[in-house]
Amino acid sequence: MKKLMTVTTLFISALCNIASQAAEGDVGVAADMGDRYCTTCHGVDGLGNIAIEAPRLAGMEAWYLKRQLENFRAGIRGTHGEDIQGIAMRPMAAKLSDESIADIVDWVGDWDFVPAEATVDGNVNQGRTAFQSCAACHGANAEGNEALGAPALAGQNDWYMITQLRNFRAGFRGSHQEDTYGSQMLTMSKTLRDEQAIINVVSYINTLQK
Amino acid sequence: MTNPVSRREFLNLLGAYGGTSAVLQAGTALGFMPGNSQAAEISLQASTGKKVAILGTGISALTTAWELTKAGYDCTLLEASHRPGGRMFTVRAGTVIDEIGNYQRCEWDDDPHLYFNAGAARIPSIHSSVLKYCKELEVELQVFVNESKTAWVQDDAMNGGKPVRNTDYSSSMQGFVSEMLAKSLGKEELDSSLTESESETLLGMLRSFGDLNEDMLYKGTVRAGYGSGGFLDHGTKRDVIALRDLLKTRLAGNVMVTTQEGTGSGPLLMQPVGGMDRIIYAFANRLGDRIKFRSPVTEVMVTDDGVEVAYERNGVTEVLKADYCFNCIPSHLMSGIPNNFPAEYSEALNYIRRGKAYKAAFQAKERFWEKENIYGGITWVNAPTQQIWYPPHNIHGKKGVVLAAYNFGGANYTEMSQEDRIEDFLKHGEKVHPNYREMAEKPITIAWHRMNHMLGCAPRWARNRGGWSDKEEQMYETLRQPVNGRHYLIGDQSTQHSAWMESAIQSAHYALADLDQRVRSEPA
Repeated sequence: MKKLMTVTTLFISALCNIASQAAEGDVGVAADMGDRYCTTCHGVDGLGNIAIEAPRLAGMEAWYLKRQLENFRAGIRGTHGEDIQGIAMRPMAAKLSDESIADIVDWVGDWDFVPAEATVDGNVNQGRTAFQSCAACHGANAEGNEALGAPALAGQNDWYMITQLRNFRAGFRGSHQEDTYGSQMLTMSKTLRDEQAIINVVSYINTLQK
Repeated sequence: MTNPVSRREFLNLLGAYGGTSAVLQAGTALGFMPGNSQAAEISLQASTGKKVAILGTGISALTTAWELTKAGYDCTLLEASHRPGGRMFTVRAGTVIDEIGNYQRCEWDDDPHLYFNAGAARIPSIHSSVLKYCKELEVELQVFVNESKTAWVQDDAMNGGKPVRNTDYSSSMQGFVSEMLAKSLGKEELDSSLTESESETLLGMLRSFGDLNEDMLYKGTVRAGYGSGGFLDHGTKRDVIALRDLLKTRLAGNVMVTTQEGTGSGPLLMQPVGGMDRIIYAFANRLGDRIKFRSPVTEVMVTDDGVEVAYERNGVTEVLKADYCFNCIPSHLMSGIPNNFPAEYSEALNYIRRGKAYKAAFQAKERFWEKENIYGGITWVNAPTQQIWYPPHNIHGKKGVVLAAYNFGGANYTEMSQEDRIEDFLKHGEKVHPNYREMAEKPITIAWHRMNHMLGCAPRWARNRGGWSDKEEQMYETLRQPVNGRHYLIGDQSTQHSAWMESAIQSAHYALADLDQRVRSEPA
């Protein structure tokens, strides 16, 4: 009997609603998010999402995030035909105003830094050796160095760093003539001989604490 | 006119694939009589208010909520977006298209005929579960014309880029293929495979299928329409397009197979009157305030005796505690939501790829296609836009909404600006209809890869064209088992035939049957 009553109630409320809602089409307008769309791809609290290949933003330095958003907006990054993930990001940034970028950087700054889980298992010892040349800019603990324009690496998603190192080595990132810091990184990435060297160095970075 | 491909060449080609007799022998399913496709009967044990959290409001979620609510469960649906339905999305006057970085608001005339199904758009007659709910929820249906023989086929490589009628293409292709097969029946190996009577039947069918003459040759047909006359005067045949010319386009596969209902795209399909979201709102209106909109899920924790779901609403994090959870959040978004799923389950969840697809549409100032004898159906274009659909409803009305692009599997639009997308489909469309550009008003585009809270179209499981690997089958089974008997993954991502509402609904039925069994076996 209880079940029957529920069904009846459902139908009565349905009849009331149909006139008011179905004819309208939409239940409501999209939430006013401004340009705060980041978490759809970059995951809850910007923790990164491997399925979208969108890296963690939580804990990213404000100055680095700002520069990358500006580079994407200007087409300095994300315009090389082989930079698949960059191409996906570029249209998201293309329409951002200076104010939107400042707002996003602010917002992202609210998210707590939680180191990413390791997903690769390379040779840490060999990675440590290779990392010596990285440390000059990124710091001995991969903590980043704003004065040199080098972001922190420790705690970042390893799969993202691997993609970026591959892209730098192949010239998919950093070959735009206005990408000053990217071109430095492009040169430095050549010191990593092959895919295994990339995995090794990233495996070593996984052992570092920011 | 060029020479047709010789029959010998064609038969050699057949031989390369194992030979025709091999095919004949393989097809031994005589006597197979398929049963009618019927929707599952859902008969859940009545519940006294067990709490259920349903994540997302795609059709699998709405089905689940509807069935559980009828049985007395206490359901709450959390929807990240401002609207229900996920990929069952209809655009009409005033609709917001919430694409990241490309917000659009549809400004078409406010007219019930002027709508566009941006996701699911067609219901095959064998999709019994969808039809069952349409009937139960009184969603009015009408016929959708999926194939029109007067629509066009256009390829820059064929006929100097000028479009040809679907019928000119398909009738000629049928004619040539029939002629070649009829001739091959003379071969000794085929004679030994068929009895005389079977051969006669087959030849008769081929003569009819290809409209062959007494010599079993294809010399044109009036099926493609008349060259002249046909009503007051005797009709004359139109010129035959040579086989070699037909083969200049790779669209043959698309043009020739739109009538295969088994895969969901038969000649007679259906659509709800007024838009596909009529089904969504039929559910949603009945569920009322059980649905919380603009409430993105931020954490899913399966506990010993239930599930705790955190979500954000008006900037505040709230926690919903439930006995069970049914989750249709796309797997690629779920990967970015903290959870405590077992490693094996997460691995499978992360494995599913987000499918690519995009569509575009515009409001046409006039129903220009009707002046070209087209009343519904699909024009095939060998360009990224791929398809043009003409609305089968409101015939001879003032305006209509034309689907200007439908690329299933492509993501070109993802990288293009709105202006470039529009220019792209106009450029290709005017090769078919010279006045296309002039007719197009207020275009909209749907790039599923960039739609907020979706970021993709139909999920893709198999990485290889050959089909599902054992590993993939295994992961699929992993995801079909509820985590701790509490968390069910539903939606077309949890089926082996994605992109169809029927699959999504059946995934819900599958999960509901499992839940019901568990509930029934609980100690009283």
